[in-house]
Amino acid sequence: MLQNLLTDGLVIGSVYALVSVGMTVILGVLGQINFAHGEYYMAGAFAAWWAIDRLGLSYIESIPLAILIVAVLSLVIGYVVMQRLVDVSFDAGIIATLGISLLLQNGATLLFGGTYQVFDGGWLAPMRVLGEDIAQQRILIVLVTLAVFGALEWLVRKSSFGKQMRAVAQNVECCHVLGLDVRRVVLITFILGTTLAALSGVMTAPITMNIYGAMGEAITLKSFAVIVMGGMGSIGGTLLAGWVLGIMESLVAAYVGLQFRDAVAFTLLVLVLMWRPSGFFNTKARY
Amino acid sequence: MKTTGRRIFLMLSAVCGVSLAGGLPSAARAASGDIKVGVIGPMTGANAPYGSLAWRGASLAAKEINAAGGVLGHKIKLVRGDSQCTPVEGVLALQRMISSDHIKFVLGDICSSATLAYEPIVENAKVLLLNAASSDPTITYKAGVGGYKWTFRNYPTDEQRAGIVLKYASEKMHIHKVAILSVDNDYGRGAIALSKHFFHRYGITAVSEDYFQASTTEFLPELNKIKNSGAQAILMYGYAASSRLVARQMLESGLAGKIALIGNGDFTNPQTIAAAPSVLNGAVEAAAWSPDYNSARSKTFVHDYEAAYRGEVPQVHAFTHWETINLLAAAIRKAGSVDPAAVRRALAGITFDGATGVVKFDSHDQADLPMILYQVENGKPVIKGVFRTAVAYPKP
Repeated sequence: MLQNLLTDGLVIGSVYALVSVGMTVILGVLGQINFAHGEYYMAGAFAAWWAIDRLGLSYIESIPLAILIVAVLSLVIGYVVMQRLVDVSFDAGIIATLGISLLLQNGATLLFGGTYQVFDGGWLAPMRVLGEDIAQQRILIVLVTLAVFGALEWLVRKSSFGKQMRAVAQNVECCHVLGLDVRRVVLITFILGTTLAALSGVMTAPITMNIYGAMGEAITLKSFAVIVMGGMGSIGGTLLAGWVLGIMESLVAAYVGLQFRDAVAFTLLVLVLMWRPSGFFNTKARY
Repeated sequence: MKTTGRRIFLMLSAVCGVSLAGGLPSAARAASGDIKVGVIGPMTGANAPYGSLAWRGASLAAKEINAAGGVLGHKIKLVRGDSQCTPVEGVLALQRMISSDHIKFVLGDICSSATLAYEPIVENAKVLLLNAASSDPTITYKAGVGGYKWTFRNYPTDEQRAGIVLKYASEKMHIHKVAILSVDNDYGRGAIALSKHFFHRYGITAVSEDYFQASTTEFLPELNKIKNSGAQAILMYGYAASSRLVARQMLESGLAGKIALIGNGDFTNPQTIAAAPSVLNGAVEAAAWSPDYNSARSKTFVHDYEAAYRGEVPQVHAFTHWETINLLAAAIRKAGSVDPAAVRRALAGITFDGATGVVKFDSHDQADLPMILYQVENGKPVIKGVFRTAVAYPKP
């Protein structure tokens, strides 16, 4: 039983980590919390559902298409809105991203209707791992998460673009002086962050099944808790915080009661902040 | 801004106009020999589809009765009232019916909160209220020997639904240990509270009790706990979206075929079954009526309704309002008079051959109605019979 709960927690935690890390890179570079982040998760799931249900594609084909659709969407939003948020106040960023969140949620409802759509795809046959049954899709989620985090670490630490990201995160004015195209770095980082959310949406859709406009709301709130716990901008910290949250939710749901599940994120956030006010990894100047 | 303001004004006046038109002139024109029957329900607003179904069912019944010569020589004339499913609007519409239209017989409402508000009003006005769609048990806790003499209900309550599901689970499926897993709102918690009234009667105990948000997507931790708890069934009151997820994750946890789903949550919906056919096999759900119900009277109704409304398949509310207009006509015939007091006495003692069996009212003026019990077999809902359960009224 305990082993089951830990596995479930790890899977759900990986989903949280995968969405949150996108929010974290955007926060790191742009200095703004993207309150529409869950909506890109929703958009990814909807795009894949649309590809499967309306275009008749297979699940595996729907994944790159969904990511492409969200990338184009966030290119437009990034160009029109996010690039303008580089040097503006924090509250302007909140208003702008909340506005985008409303637009995307209601846009999805307008396009596809208010009823729940059922996602039909993925690999749900159970596999025996360490004597327990677990759906293949769940194992895949953990593997994809590990791969994405590995790639991100490499990108940020070793690549030339990673250096630019870190430079923008540290000092925007200095980047301007040195001739670094800050708006380009912001735009690319934003597209990277939102497509990670979309990837998470597509990977999770076979398990969450119900696709609807407001499905990203809870994800945004939990991502916010995860990145604060992880240390606002730390990639490794986000993975750890995601896993801790997923496992704690599983344990609380089983031993305390399912009705308390959604209270875990913020209770845990308060506890972590009391113990380590800057999150698990305090690396504000990481990038 | 100016155009918006004008548009809102026009919309408001249109809405007022419609509700007035529904309430006043059509009734005032009715010939003096007609029996005026008010049909009150949500004719506009979010629940308007239900009101529309009720109206169509009632209209069909009135048309059929009038075509056959009416009741005691009088024709039935329906008058529409709009409650929008709120007590405030409903009470206004009801008072208009009573004071302006001098209506003595009213069918309504769909929504329990509105029906509860009508009970004291019809009591004072000595107007007969027949309910054909509200499921809150307290409506008839307070009627008959419970107090209100002018309220009757010809619809099964949530309590009867809960009882019938548990009776079947206990007697036919030999289930005695259940895990409670329900949605965390008035409906889910209310249904579980009512189910608990029957635990003792049917020898059932709950091994765990959990409530989830309608947006919850992860049930595996709970299902793992239930797996090791010795539960034979999950007692669930929820919605289709959650049922799909629970069923799918039961499949993942290897619970398919070991633990049944019972309660209410669109288990018999083809989309739910498609999510995890092996889990839904054996799932149990109760309904007041359904178009595939096999009785001559029910089939005739479905046939006539489809003919009258361009092939539209009737839903439960259309049926119950059609049936209840017929029930009222039978009570008037039995009374031999259109005097509401005489009709009320006749109704209390009536034995009416309904589409789902004989209709009789208990001491609380609640019809002792059967519910149709469905169980999923080989991916298809199958009617397992028609069951009744007596309501255990709380002691005054």
